[in-house]
Amino acid sequence: MNDTIVSYLAQAPGYSLAVSKISEILGFDATGLVTFLVFGIAVFIVVNVMALVGGLGTYAERKISADIQMRQGPNRVGPYGLLQFLADGVKMITKEDVTPRDADKTLFFVAPLLALVGVFMSLAVIPFSSGFTLTSLNIGVFYLLGVSSLVGVAIFVGGYASNSKWSMLGGMRGASQIISYEVPVTLSILAVVLMAGGLSFGTITEAQGGLPHQWFILHNPFSFIAFFVLFVGALAEANRAPFDLPEAESELVSGYHTEFTGMRFAFFALAEYIEVFVLCGVCAALFLGGYNVPFGLGSGDFIIKNFPAVHPMIAKQIGNVLQLKVFVLKTLALYYVVIWIRWTLPRLRVDHLMTLCWKYMTPIAIFNLVGIAIWIYAFEGKSMLTLMASALSAMAGSGGGH
Amino acid sequence: MSHNLDVYMPVLILAAFAAIMFVGALLVGKLLRPHNPTELKVSPYECGEVPIGTAWSNFNIRFYVVALIFIIFDVEGAFMFPVAAVFKRFVEMGEGGPVLALLLLFISVLLEGISY
Amino acid sequence: MFLDTMFLLSALATLGGALMVVMSKNLMHACMYLLLSLFGVAGLYATLGADFLAATQLVVYAGGVVILMLFAIMLTGGVEEFVNKFGINKIPSMGTTKTYTIGAIVSLIFSFVILKTLSPLFKNYSQADLPPMESTVEDIGVLLVTDHALAFEISSVLLLGALIGAAVISRPRKINGGSK
Repeated sequence: MNDTIVSYLAQAPGYSLAVSKISEILGFDATGLVTFLVFGIAVFIVVNVMALVGGLGTYAERKISADIQMRQGPNRVGPYGLLQFLADGVKMITKEDVTPRDADKTLFFVAPLLALVGVFMSLAVIPFSSGFTLTSLNIGVFYLLGVSSLVGVAIFVGGYASNSKWSMLGGMRGASQIISYEVPVTLSILAVVLMAGGLSFGTITEAQGGLPHQWFILHNPFSFIAFFVLFVGALAEANRAPFDLPEAESELVSGYHTEFTGMRFAFFALAEYIEVFVLCGVCAALFLGGYNVPFGLGSGDFIIKNFPAVHPMIAKQIGNVLQLKVFVLKTLALYYVVIWIRWTLPRLRVDHLMTLCWKYMTPIAIFNLVGIAIWIYAFEGKSMLTLMASALSAMAGSGGGH
Repeated sequence: MSHNLDVYMPVLILAAFAAIMFVGALLVGKLLRPHNPTELKVSPYECGEVPIGTAWSNFNIRFYVVALIFIIFDVEGAFMFPVAAVFKRFVEMGEGGPVLALLLLFISVLLEGISY
Repeated sequence: MFLDTMFLLSALATLGGALMVVMSKNLMHACMYLLLSLFGVAGLYATLGADFLAATQLVVYAGGVVILMLFAIMLTGGVEEFVNKFGINKIPSMGTTKTYTIGAIVSLIFSFVILKTLSPLFKNYSQADLPPMESTVEDIGVLLVTDHALAFEISSVLLLGALIGAAVISRPRKINGGSK
């Protein structure tokens, strides 16, 4: 159950050999050390890729928004303006770091840190592929919920620490919005857990298949709705438009990060963009089949069967790369939709936001949950399309009999 | 591997990494950036007006109630997650009925609260 | 080795956080230290192999209760004014060196007495003797719907009570003109 990248690598024949060799050289059991190193390297890769994704996210956002509004978008730095985010980074780091006079200095420091820690910790359970998951905790989804609520605390503290009225209002709105929308999100995730019978991302992904009809989104009518509830809730949790009330420029200047300058602001922004990626990844993993590749390509079975000359281990690696690609592709598709929504829909009003959450989304989510529970009981966990297919074949069979 | 507590290692490493990145960037930035705060610059931003009083004031009790309701749903979720995780297994065993009844009872009692 | 590291880190976070909660005079800071302490407790649960409990700790306490407390602090608004309008210190000084010393000695004696009484219960396990850690989620789920079904349902009634209470608080009062 508890698969990690280390346990995946440990399947390779060279791994234990390397461990024993290192142990010999160092003179003590190096298993723990090697584990630590492997995790460290993996974390380093993931964090850097994520920082890149966050940076490119800002670029993509501006480029797509420009596209939607028929503008050019950034196009000076690098080819097609691709290096714009690096230029922004340099700008941010050389900006003066202003701490407001009345601010709570400690909390002013802690708030962006909390946001960053919360988002980074949630990266630990993202299932990039069956092999490359930092750690597939068997409480995966629940852990993710807990860690992501840290961002809410961070936003509130950020708003509080600035001691500016705009920030305070933004922080208040942000915190209450995040905790409100966590309720429908939790209930939708519960629905998925009901269908998959497990809390870890591995179990949930494995319970689905590679082709769209095996995904949970098309499992039954209720899960189809549940996906949209989850997606809208995720938008609200990441403070994305149309739910970007905590940072509504037109009414709150810049919301909870009004007073944050330079790198502190950069880290808030980075945390936000990575969180969007994480939530898109979660949506993809829970409802859109995650890293599953059709036709058994992902596990390498297809290649092993059809090309016996290829070593099974290599076939598995190819499968893993494919899985990685599929997962990232699905996530980025959702990412595009998120940006697209931002530039399409107007912002909600605060009371509408709360009404939407408590009077519409939460009851719908509960309804979904009940519906899925009954569905699983009534049809023994079979999906909608399987049932239709069997009904069709039964009809065809009876038709042929007459 | 002697024990599988190692699964929590990436979590700690990630948290540490975030902290190091944050502090490191601020320290590096300290060497590069200018630092000349003025009275106007460090005052809270209020569109050019001189701020009156502090922002730390009492606010609407509704926010508090939202947090309260959120915790209730959180606890509910915490109760239902393990049940949901084993529900499929019970159905496969053919014992899904009683569990479903329990789950529905649990949810319906909460629904009363919402409708209230 | 990692077990020890994790235990030490969690214990340090728990105790240090708890100590700082008591020591800090700023309510907001105290709340942040409480967050640290709660994370430490979650880490301790995880060290013991109770992974679901650890996650619940994170979700309910670190996510919910801390935000509730932050809101409550903002609601009462007594953050930075340590003196109320009559000039009386809101947070009285906690004591002198004498009281601290006496307190420390008393708590030491008490803890020794408690440890002494409990000592027959403790056993020394080496790591190899411990059962391999498995997911506790399934166990909890099975127990909740079999042995403890009644408690499961009663807890839902309890939550219903809390929900209605929250609704009653937030309901605007009609007697006083309903200005809300």
